[in-house]
Amino acid sequence: MKTNEDQVWQNLLARSAPTFAGESEPPYGFVTAALAQIRAEKRVQIEVERIGWRALLASLAVLAIAATVTLSVQPRDGGDLEPGVNAIVQMENFQVS
Amino acid sequence: MDEVFDVEGCLQRWREGDEAAAEKLIEHLYPVISRIVRTHLPRRDDEKDLVQEILMKTFAKLHQFKGDAPIAHWVSRLAVTTCLDRLRAQKIRPEVRRADLTLEESKAFDASWLMGSSPDASGAIGARDLVDRLLGTLAPEDRSLILMVDLEGRSMQEISQLTGWSISKIKMRLFRVRPQLRQMIQKLEE
Repeated sequence: MKTNEDQVWQNLLARSAPTFAGESEPPYGFVTAALAQIRAEKRVQIEVERIGWRALLASLAVLAIAATVTLSVQPRDGGDLEPGVNAIVQMENFQVS
Repeated sequence: MDEVFDVEGCLQRWREGDEAAAEKLIEHLYPVISRIVRTHLPRRDDEKDLVQEILMKTFAKLHQFKGDAPIAHWVSRLAVTTCLDRLRAQKIRPEVRRADLTLEESKAFDASWLMGSSPDASGAIGARDLVDRLLGTLAPEDRSLILMVDLEGRSMQEISQLTGWSISKIKMRLFRVRPQLRQMIQKLEE
């Protein structure tokens, strides 16, 4: 059921209707500014992607080196290592029952 | 609108790096975005900034556009979501008092009790400011919803597509927000 207040609200909206109408054409300079921003964002995106790939490849390389070092150290029994390092290697092989 | 404007061709050319196609797309989408921003945002907010922001989002996500619906629908949803995000960042006023109204808003309120009188430009702005003031007391989603129903005359289905809300959620929100609006108008009468 419509109350007086509903009617007032509808009248208010009707009176303000012209201010809600959108513009059919962009204002002067808007398209140029928008294009410039799109261009800039595209450049940033390309740069981020490029840096991202480099970072990923660098991380993979570091990971591969770390894995190689670990594998080459672990099979040894530690006989040829310094006493301190030997202790650490032995702790790695410590059995927990 | 989409029948005359070759959206597919334009998108294809844009993907191939043709900047003139981007220009055409901006000109095509501008009225759609402008209307949504003007509806959902208070009059005093910087609409140009927000239109630009929505356009940037549109271009950043263009690769997600499948073409199964008109591009205007797809962009409208993006625009409504962005407007809601902007509204959420604004402070909700607790209430509206008659003493806080400007002279123009007061006149608009009094005039809105009379049927059929069409206002001049300043009358329309006064009415709009009062509408913004009343809507400013509502939650952003309620504010947008009431305008989509009462001002734009959108159906529940359309609102659901634009916002992603279910029909029952829309009905529930409307049911809750109407009494709030009535109560605010009653308070202004006192």
